[in-house]
Amino acid sequence: MERRKFLGLGVLAIAALPATLSAITSIDFRATKPDTWTAKTVDDAVKALFGDIKPEEKGVKVNVPAVASNGGAVPVTIKSDIPAKTVAVLQDMDPESAVAVFQVPEDGIVDYSLKIKLKATDENGGKGTVTAIVEGTDGKFYIGSKGLDVAKGGCEG
Amino acid sequence: MGNMKIKAKEKNGVVSAKVLATHDMLTYDQAKAKGTDANFITHITAKVGDKVVYDVSTSQFWSKNPQFKFKFKGAKKGDKLEVTWTDLSGKTVTESKKIK
Repeated sequence: MERRKFLGLGVLAIAALPATLSAITSIDFRATKPDTWTAKTVDDAVKALFGDIKPEEKGVKVNVPAVASNGGAVPVTIKSDIPAKTVAVLQDMDPESAVAVFQVPEDGIVDYSLKIKLKATDENGGKGTVTAIVEGTDGKFYIGSKGLDVAKGGCEG
Repeated sequence: MGNMKIKAKEKNGVVSAKVLATHDMLTYDQAKAKGTDANFITHITAKVGDKVVYDVSTSQFWSKNPQFKFKFKGAKKGDKLEVTWTDLSGKTVTESKKIK
């Protein structure tokens, strides 16, 4: 079911490509890197998206509340001064890891805020980590992460 | 209006944009519990003219009625910021707003 829809979308995206290719640089990572979105762990998602990389632990700031009372909408901010090509946001509390993959425009500013769902379960005990990986225009990878507690019952999935 | 609320402000050459999209963002688990199909926003793009200023592939784990913020350079007051989202069902919604 899931996969079928996925493929359908991919076909759509490809069909729509020729018309838009010249003007914009929009990349649909769901179509180009489908395995990223079904990966159950952060490591697997990173591997599916970027390959076998060894990101450097610097220059990427992840901001989350220390304790999130509402797991249905946890505010996350990703910031970096590194000239970036791609920014991926991942977490280790939900059934799958990937949350967002940004295609950073030329001269783009990496200062992204969004609200995400984080599911507190018996296994994770309401504790999790949000991770951001920046692919620099220099071809290197940088990583930042922050742990948090999520109150139970705030999110149904 | 209705489906998306956009605020965009330019200051010192940097535009700060804030968007609130209306969408259930039904995850696979939630959909199963409700006996319907999952449906969530899978891609968001923002443009000023022809130039893409924000582009993100998204998952089911964005919150219901997603709210997001971003900053970009290269636009001025009066320019139109156009935000488009696409969801899993293939529905596309576009909304634009003048940068203040």
